[in-house]
Amino acid sequence: MLAMDFCGLHFNTPQVLLSGCVGFGEEYTRVKGFSNTDVGAVCLKGTTLAERLGNEPHRLAETPMGLLNAIGLQNPGSARVVAEYLPKLDFSETRFIANLSGSTVEEYAEVTRIFDDSPIDAMEINISCPNVKEGGVAFGNDPDMSARVVEACRTQTRKPLIAKLSPNQTDIANNARRCIEAGSDALAVINTVMGMAIDPEQRQPVIGNNQAGLSGPAIKPIALLKVHQVYQVAGPLNIPIIGQGGVTRPEDALEFIIAGASAVGVGTALFYDPLVCSRINSVMVDYLKRHNMTHVNELVGSLQLHEPATSVCAN
Amino acid sequence: MNEHSRHAAAHPATRDTIFPEQAPILLHEAFAGDQHIIRLQAPEIAAHAQPGSFVHMQVHPTLLMRRPMSIMRANPKAGWIEILYKAHGEGTRLLSERRIDELVDLIGPIGTPFKLDGYRRRPLLIGGGVGMPPMIFLAEHIRRQATDNQPLVILGSEVPFPFKARPSQILVPGLPAEVIAGMPLLEDWHIPSRLCSQQDFPGCHQGFVTDLARLWLDSMEPRQHGEVEVFACGPTPMLKAVAQLTAEYDLPCQVSLEEHMACAVGGCAGCNVRVETETGPAMKRICVDGPVFDARQVFPQAG
Repeated sequence: MLAMDFCGLHFNTPQVLLSGCVGFGEEYTRVKGFSNTDVGAVCLKGTTLAERLGNEPHRLAETPMGLLNAIGLQNPGSARVVAEYLPKLDFSETRFIANLSGSTVEEYAEVTRIFDDSPIDAMEINISCPNVKEGGVAFGNDPDMSARVVEACRTQTRKPLIAKLSPNQTDIANNARRCIEAGSDALAVINTVMGMAIDPEQRQPVIGNNQAGLSGPAIKPIALLKVHQVYQVAGPLNIPIIGQGGVTRPEDALEFIIAGASAVGVGTALFYDPLVCSRINSVMVDYLKRHNMTHVNELVGSLQLHEPATSVCAN
Repeated sequence: MNEHSRHAAAHPATRDTIFPEQAPILLHEAFAGDQHIIRLQAPEIAAHAQPGSFVHMQVHPTLLMRRPMSIMRANPKAGWIEILYKAHGEGTRLLSERRIDELVDLIGPIGTPFKLDGYRRRPLLIGGGVGMPPMIFLAEHIRRQATDNQPLVILGSEVPFPFKARPSQILVPGLPAEVIAGMPLLEDWHIPSRLCSQQDFPGCHQGFVTDLARLWLDSMEPRQHGEVEVFACGPTPMLKAVAQLTAEYDLPCQVSLEEHMACAVGGCAGCNVRVETETGPAMKRICVDGPVFDARQVFPQAG
């Protein structure tokens, strides 16, 4: 009922563990009862060409129903990820997706080339990281730059490419169209929403990087609308969407699929409940049975909009 | 699919080492200064905890983020753990209102504990404020080992201590006679302890924990310093002062750190701090690479 094909890859379930929340794929298996087999894919931590130490503390701040983070793409560099981290992964349990980042178009291409020559199943292009000075969201908010990055990565691999779109832009649907035209096989919608937390006593931002990316239930309504908007473009072209942003309760996952997502990303929810994935699976199966559906695919994009009102007047 | 090996040699030894438990509250006691001690029935965590371990606690179901909390005591036989916390924010305030028999969602034990292979025979344990708990855990561990160790515990607090101090019956050579207040629990375990505070608490050393530690070190023959090893947990300025002191006397020193934390299992890199390693600076995860680090790695400029 939940097993599915995603860009030619077999997913155990429509859940995807999100980049930046689960390290390089093995970290959550420390928790007894957690299993990578509960999800369709695991996105590894954002990786650049060379090692990056990331930002100084604090990197995190809790906000009402949300979490601000500014890690700053700490990673050991793509060559070491391929040589030291991938061999430790059990590819029989789930699919593993690399998350590519860079400060220049050339860097994205080079990182793609390095992962192409590895057992990784697919690659997510992070053109929406809000916490680094160059690249990241600066590329993601400019449709021309987004397309250039995707094109450059496309020349380096035949593995599935997934462009991760930023919510911090005016017309996400247009950016989605440009990324598809540039060769993206799927889209991840959305990355974190840019924000800030201030300590009034110190009159300083709480986060070392000053600004940060907001995740968690607080951003779910934003993410749902963006998925709905992107689906209008991607749906007719059969380009699947990984809907993500604030999924916490199992019902949230259903909402994203109804809005048009083929798969659903789970990130911050793990921090609240490390065993949330198995619960989401059970609720999905129950829901499909109750609605006489045989496969989760039947639910994708099944949103029934209200008819536009013809004569509404406030007074 | 391709020519690359897609089979891991073996699953890492870290798998299934952190236990989720719905832990009933057995005791919940309030002390002055908004301090609380909570005892939770968590048999798996109690069985596997080591000095320096912590739990990641859902302090209240309405809050998104868990709170990392050091374990103060673990009783594997009875299956409980004890935690000392200060109610200073929304989360810990909500926790302080929770009653006996309510269930608290925990994952643990977490973290790389204190390295205790062949530690020196005069362990000096220094705890400040809510940094006291790991020192209590370590003291109980040392006591259980029942060797000829001669530990000393120095605790500091600027709010009233979360226990009723009493005059220590265990003489510690080299300490001022008027500094006599100790922690009853440690006293019961026959481990000498002394208390420090800038407040005018009776029997306490008026000053920093490091001042009292220095008096103790200075009272020894210099050759005896080779028998001393320091373990510390507390606020960063205190840990820095401890690192400076131990660098000055060339003593091994392990410190336990804290930072805002999201996943606590090594996944999010949110709690990372800068440490010096043999290969240069690195940002290490407090949750699983720590919380215990060598003081010289964290405060390389000390001394």
